[in-house]
Amino acid sequence: MFGKGLVKGLNVTWKEFWSKKFTVQYPDEQHTKPPRFHGKFQLNSDACIACGLCANACPNGVIKIESEKVNKKKYLTKYVMNIQYCLFCGMCVEACNKGALRFTQEHDMSQYFYKDIPLVFVDREAPKPDPETENKEKDDDKSKKAGKAPEKEGQ
Amino acid sequence: MLRTETYTVNFGPQHPATHGVFRVMLNLDGERIVKAEPVCGYLHRGVEKLAENRTYQQVIPYTDRLDYLAAGLQNQGYVETIEKLMEIEVPDRAEYLRIITAELSRIASHVLFVGVYALDIGAFTGFLLCFRERERILDLMEELTGSRMTYSYARIGGVAADAPEGWLDRVEKVVNDLPYYFDIYDDLISGNEIFQARTKYVGYLSAESAVDYSLSGPTLRGSGIDYDLRKAKPYSIYDRFNFEVPLGENGDCFDRYFCRILEMRQSVYILQQAIEQIRETDGPIMAKVPKVLKPPKGEAYHEIESSKGILGYYVVSDGSNKPYRVHVRRPSFVNLGFLDEMCRGGLVADLVAILGSIDIVLGEVDC
Repeated sequence: MFGKGLVKGLNVTWKEFWSKKFTVQYPDEQHTKPPRFHGKFQLNSDACIACGLCANACPNGVIKIESEKVNKKKYLTKYVMNIQYCLFCGMCVEACNKGALRFTQEHDMSQYFYKDIPLVFVDREAPKPDPETENKEKDDDKSKKAGKAPEKEGQ
Repeated sequence: MLRTETYTVNFGPQHPATHGVFRVMLNLDGERIVKAEPVCGYLHRGVEKLAENRTYQQVIPYTDRLDYLAAGLQNQGYVETIEKLMEIEVPDRAEYLRIITAELSRIASHVLFVGVYALDIGAFTGFLLCFRERERILDLMEELTGSRMTYSYARIGGVAADAPEGWLDRVEKVVNDLPYYFDIYDDLISGNEIFQARTKYVGYLSAESAVDYSLSGPTLRGSGIDYDLRKAKPYSIYDRFNFEVPLGENGDCFDRYFCRILEMRQSVYILQQAIEQIRETDGPIMAKVPKVLKPPKGEAYHEIESSKGILGYYVVSDGSNKPYRVHVRRPSFVNLGFLDEMCRGGLVADLVAILGSIDIVLGEVDC
């Protein structure tokens, strides 16, 4: 019989009309996000050893890392993520051995100006090396890196 | 003899019914289509070329962006190709997790197809209705992978992370609910007379020409050819599941549509079995794979049954840590090849129905 399908369809509509509403009134209400959510990044700069594994893992070259040798140790001076090229694949977070780089639940990263887009986690000067340890190192081996540090002192 | 002149009309590239940026150059005789010439390339990003400058693992996020509606399947196809090239044995649990994500992706893709197809035909309600179910699947995937569409979940040798606690129970609940929704689709969309009038006996595709044009997926099976790679050449662990390959009879738009509805029901069976079996499977989720992957010199081709058809990856290795060449056999692109002949003699409105029934994703067509 013609029209049977339409009546059946209307029946579905009638039932759905009384069912629970699914719409979430964003932005007043928000969905809860799961713990693994790929949101904005967060860097624990104390835990970061500037090994560069995250930068190497990134398919798009989003992460820029700069570091200086201080007391024979790498000191992170700059950590910038050009988030506009990010695919949010999570390869960098997976590569981090120290758990320094993490995803957060934050998802609104849009900016009014282009220059504000990159996430600048660390942008600092390297501290002056401790002279005592420095001299000790110098005695141990007269490598180039140890010689470079005193120049800084004079600046 | 009196005759009318044909004229050319551009359908797209900015037209919602083309599902993206896709152009069809129509040669019309009145309202009838004389020739329909597909023009693609508006969404070309050069994924194959980009892959040549990335390490093997770094290509995975790019495969997401091919068929972004079923990224789980795209990831699976790529990593299985590399595993074939390197002869890596994948742990059982990882295989099961991949199957679950793949089948969930397939359902998510088909559910969206049903909705979008209803929209193409003119039913806006169907479109929004189907998003509700897709949303539930996307929520599950978000919980597992962290992303809603571009999962990047599969890794060479396994998967990125194990299922979180209680995730399998939630998947089971959604999977058990799904057949109820499919019944609603049948009532609201498949059984609708207007929908049937628009799709039945439209866009006929004979079984012979479907094979000749090497079409695949539901487009091929809608014409009655029983060829599903999951059954014909079981890859991964598909030989462990019982399921049927639904077929169409007439090879028209409605059969192609209905084939997908039936396929979703089969995916539900597969998922139910996979969840049951993964509960008894413990173990690692990654095989022992070196951090820097350097496959031996050689090449590999591997194909899987994606939601749109046969998805093949061809990877050539020159022994370095980056692929020498990656080629993707995209089902959407190949299936489009027959558009012209399906449209000939039809109306412009039929073109929308036909194009929708092939279920193309432009990210995959243009690659």
